[in-house]
Amino acid sequence: MRAMYLANYFVAGCIAFSLLGWIASLHPYAFRAVLCLLVAIAIAWGLSWLLDFSLSKLLKISVADLQAFLISGLAMLLIGLGVFLCS
Amino acid sequence: MQLKLFVLSGAALALWLIPLTALDKRIGWHKSVQGLSLCTAIACAVAAGDIARELSEQEEIEAIKTRAITADVVDEIATSAYVSQAQRQKEAETILSDQPERDEIIESLERALALKYSEPSEPEAEPLNQPQDNASPEDEERFTSLKLTKNQAIEVIQKLRSELNQTQTIEKLWECKKGGSEAWKRAYAQFKNLTEEK
Repeated sequence: MRAMYLANYFVAGCIAFSLLGWIASLHPYAFRAVLCLLVAIAIAWGLSWLLDFSLSKLLKISVADLQAFLISGLAMLLIGLGVFLCS
Repeated sequence: MQLKLFVLSGAALALWLIPLTALDKRIGWHKSVQGLSLCTAIACAVAAGDIARELSEQEEIEAIKTRAITADVVDEIATSAYVSQAQRQKEAETILSDQPERDEIIESLERALALKYSEPSEPEAEPLNQPQDNASPEDEERFTSLKLTKNQAIEVIQKLRSELNQTQTIEKLWECKKGGSEAWKRAYAQFKNLTEEK
């Protein structure tokens, strides 16, 4: 059942990135805004990898959990945007 | 609850994939439907995730309960086994400690009697229970399996009676078992004779 709830949250993340793509397709300004948001997310993602030990202490989770979360976040972004762009 | 979980999960996937693939992005109302279905799909997926997490926590609690009950049962069995073993050991120690004490008392009494009647200060230091030449016929009568004289037998009986009951005293001194045998009847008669005379 633990795998089930993780899978559901993963799907929710994928749909959220698809929604971001949909918002970006509404207007050029929205596209730029979403692009800025994605850049910010990318910077935060890279910084999280660099500061993973201190961040894990701050969030009170293990480093392995934090790394798994970052990898699954990247996978959600790729799958969500990929589904939206390929449809 | 599980049915709801599966329905919500399936709905989330369907609302995510079907509008994106089936509807045209260039048509206005299609695009609106796509946005709505994506929002609904997120809501469905999050709700399904919450339900699944709740069920997962309940399963963990049940597993903890099962482990606790199993540990209690194992502990109870181990305790009862330990108690019964300790009780058996105590009983065995009691039996082993009682038997030598009685034997020691009897042996010490017999030794004391033997020393008393074989002191060197006595005029005739003969071995214990040897018939005397100048003894009267009444004194020559011997009692118990140790062939004690009347006085010796009375003294031993008096000392043993503080530790043993009548039957045990007769069994120990005359070396016969209680019952209807001739030896028992004779021993009992002698015992009564000695105890009434003292």
